[in-house]
Amino acid sequence: MSRTTSESGSGWSHGPLPANVRIGANTLITADYAFKRFRSKLSPALLMGANCTMDGVHFAIGEGGRVSIGDFCYFTNAVLLCELELRIGNYVVIGWNTTIADTDFHPLVPAERIADAIACSPLGQGRPRPEVAKKPVVIEDDVWIGPNATILKGARIGAGAWIEAGSLVTRDVPPRSRVLGNPAQVIGQVP
Amino acid sequence: MNPDRTLPRDWFPGRVPENVTVDPEAYLETTYSFQLFHSAAADALHIGRGSSVYLGVMFDLGEHARVNIGNFVLMNGARIICDREITIGDYSLISWNVVLMDTPRLPTDAGRRRLALEHAARQSPRRAGTEVAASPIRIEANVWIGFDCCVLPGVTIGEGSVIGARSVVMENVPPYAVAVGNPARVIRQLEPPEPDQYASTL
Repeated sequence: MSRTTSESGSGWSHGPLPANVRIGANTLITADYAFKRFRSKLSPALLMGANCTMDGVHFAIGEGGRVSIGDFCYFTNAVLLCELELRIGNYVVIGWNTTIADTDFHPLVPAERIADAIACSPLGQGRPRPEVAKKPVVIEDDVWIGPNATILKGARIGAGAWIEAGSLVTRDVPPRSRVLGNPAQVIGQVP
Repeated sequence: MNPDRTLPRDWFPGRVPENVTVDPEAYLETTYSFQLFHSAAADALHIGRGSSVYLGVMFDLGEHARVNIGNFVLMNGARIICDREITIGDYSLISWNVVLMDTPRLPTDAGRRRLALEHAARQSPRRAGTEVAASPIRIEANVWIGFDCCVLPGVTIGEGSVIGARSVVMENVPPYAVAVGNPARVIRQLEPPEPDQYASTL
């Protein structure tokens, strides 16, 4: 028995979707907080295929952030932090409490970090923030990511890779490999 | 638990499932913990005497799942992902954001996983498949698991052991060991208590 829309009719359990979000048929998004930190001004900012389940996912997307997600993806309580670009393929599974970020959030250089702390403070009204390193994250088709994992900026996870629970991925992961650890290392191939 | 299976002062308007037994001297904070509870097993979950299951613990249980929580266990914000069997021994301490998973829920083979995801998209409410073979997790007595740890399918953690924060446990841990890291490794042994140090007469 298929359900093509959510109770609100929009695909999101808690009301109409933001105007710059496009989702395919039979895709469901749950949780009142899904778009609490959705600030992208691009259009479309979130492009999602059909038959996806986004159960309790945070779409924390900054002003210039763009996220694309393919068909038949299943994410549970994932946190997607995007300031630039997240490109996620088809049949991708992401476990509970996993974070994906395409940005460092703050500059590395100490002087710039002071400027950033001031700009982010209640006294920093209107002050521009320094540049922060960002690199797209790409997750190809058929990737499985376990719970409590973290995927950092610039990582490209090859098709069919298996990311074990609790892994911290900082580099590219070859297709069909199984990775584990902090930092994540290849420990074998997916059978 | 109240006679109608609600909980006193529960913020969530739910009930404790019929196949859950909670010792009268255990504490269960909220029925929100059963939002992902799908077990139809006769004895799906037991919470023993003197145990506390606080806010944020989620019993994500598949149809045949059985979870046994012993006596004087303290749990705070753990995610129990179970399709077969997870046992937690007496006096064990399970910290925030710990994941105990006896199954990855979906097949490792990408082709079979695609079929499972296509099946999941036809379910209402949505649920990812549970047809993968699960391997039980056994946490023995007096084990302490630190923040953000993951315990993977098939793992046994021996009596009295300590698992450091953020560890990922993929192999068995012997009794009275301290294991840390991702993947977790044993870094030292603890002194087992003398029998008379088990002083509890509660």
